Amino acid sequence: MSEKKLVLIVEDEPDVSSFLTILLEDNGFTTDIAGNGREGMEQAAKLHPDLITLDISMPEESGLKMYKLLKENDDLKDIPVAVVTGITPEFKRFIEQHRKLPAPEAYFEKPIDKAEFIDTAKELTGQKS
Amino acid sequence: MSAASNSDAILNQFMKDSLFDALPMGAALVGSDKRIRAVNKQFEEVFGVFKGRLCYHALKQTQRECATCEADLCLAEKQMLVADHVLVDRHGRDIDASLFYQPVSLTGSGDPDHVLMLISKLTETRKWKREFDRLFEHVPCYISILDKDLNIVHANGKLEHTFGRAEGASCYKVYKGRNSPCTDCPAMQTFSDGLEHSSTQEGVTHDGKLAKYFVNVSPLSWGSDGVEKVIEISTDITELSRLEKEALDNERLVAVGQTVAGLAHTIKNLLMGLEGGMYMVDSGLKKGDEARLERGWDMLQRNFEKTTAMVRDFLSFSKGRVPSLIQIDPAKIIADVVELYHDAAGQQGVELLSGDEPAPELAPLDPEGIEACLTNLLSNGIDAASVREGGGGQVTMSTFDREGELIFEVRDNGIGMEADVKRRVFTTFFTTKGNRGTGLGLLTTRKIVQEHHGVIEVDTERGVGSVFRIRLPRQELVKVEEEQKIRNEKALQYR
Repeated sequence: MSEKKLVLIVEDEPDVSSFLTILLEDNGFTTDIAGNGREGMEQAAKLHPDLITLDISMPEESGLKMYKLLKENDDLKDIPVAVVTGITPEFKRFIEQHRKLPAPEAYFEKPIDKAEFIDTAKELTGQKS
Repeated sequence: MSAASNSDAILNQFMKDSLFDALPMGAALVGSDKRIRAVNKQFEEVFGVFKGRLCYHALKQTQRECATCEADLCLAEKQMLVADHVLVDRHGRDIDASLFYQPVSLTGSGDPDHVLMLISKLTETRKWKREFDRLFEHVPCYISILDKDLNIVHANGKLEHTFGRAEGASCYKVYKGRNSPCTDCPAMQTFSDGLEHSSTQEGVTHDGKLAKYFVNVSPLSWGSDGVEKVIEISTDITELSRLEKEALDNERLVAVGQTVAGLAHTIKNLLMGLEGGMYMVDSGLKKGDEARLERGWDMLQRNFEKTTAMVRDFLSFSKGRVPSLIQIDPAKIIADVVELYHDAAGQQGVELLSGDEPAPELAPLDPEGIEACLTNLLSNGIDAASVREGGGGQVTMSTFDREGELIFEVRDNGIGMEADVKRRVFTTFFTTKGNRGTGLGLLTTRKIVQEHHGVIEVDTERGVGSVFRIRLPRQELVKVEEEQKIRNEKALQYR
């Protein structure tokens, strides 16, 4: 069996990050948590995860900032990002205003569909054809 | 020839030949056709050649007759008239002058057929007086001069035009149709302390329309026992306040829109927490993993409590709650809040203190509303102080009077706020607390403060702390109380 894939969960709400942790670990992933965008960038650079789930509705817009920094960083831009958010219009506006940035690899609105979330996570980490 | 008759002859000669020229002012004899028949030296020096010219040509260098011709009036009424005109001298310069019109009959009998015009330049004082009169009458403000009994001694045209006959009546009768002085009368304040006072008032025009005006009162004359008369200048702000209200309504609509968006976000996070809890309970049961089951159950409980809190906050924000004012000691509200939260603050490592300012006077307040505001601010303050680097977090709550305002202050030595957070903090549904806050606390606080006609402001510095300050002008509190009385009376009528 191949080595477990690592997912970095960037989320400020502890209940949501524990839920995602358990859900992902139950489905064969290992995880790491960052509580804000700044920590998220540090962890991403250090751990080079296979997937990042990113809450973009964290305080002071640090999720949006992290997304921009990630996609502008040559070393990290290929890590797939699944945006998990409560606010649809804000993220769409952000992507429209930053046309040079690519759209995220996946996009989930809270509350998430568990099966779809896991399917997508497997797909983005190359565990599914 | 005797000496006396000789002197009489000289006098007669003088009167006949030189008196006209000796007058210390310009003089002209004008026919009923407005043609100038004769002028004196002074006139010629100032206005130049007169022969055959019409009076308005010569005096104003214009081809048009004056709108009102005093010469005509003087001939018709056969009496002397005085009027002020701006004339133009032969060099084209304006001259402010008073003109005296005397009807004369050249034949010495019958109806007057000419007008003797005497032109006197205005002195500076008279010129100013005239300017003042013009200003008084035509300035777009209501101006009145009041005596100590608040009777209007003198009113300008605009005031009488808008509020009806004013001179001799009391200002409260004229402006508001009241039978007694207003409780917050700025004129009475000026009479008592000799200083300038102002306030915003609502009156009723003579045709029954509501008029809002900003009134400024200054002392005008002083007698042996203080101010004798005051001058009251009011600017109509009816339209301005209508626009202001419209802007406020729009702002409220925008806030509601943002609130709904923010609310959706909060609800989604709560749903996600509930979903997580359910997943853990479910999978814990299946796996027989009791620890997981317990975690899931905690998660469900926590998110259920948060949902309850949010619904409660939202209801208290959206409820069109009318403040219920009573005379209360502001220091007592502070003391109650401090007592209630002292232990909770301690548990978060924050010391809760009361300020040592001199206690303010009683004030008409909605104690429940003010307590809710202070609790909201306190809870934010404790949160900010609890994460202070190196500990030692403190929150100080105080209340005091300053420059006619009742002040409540909640001061923390916590982490302070960034500029963009400060900017958004009162205006929209906004939280930096993730799922812990509903984002409604400060919005609700602002709403309650506005219901007291007050303002809330914040001074903050990153790393130093924040001061939230509620400022309630005492004068406005009296008004809110009066509004409440009127509402209650109306409610009684309809019962």
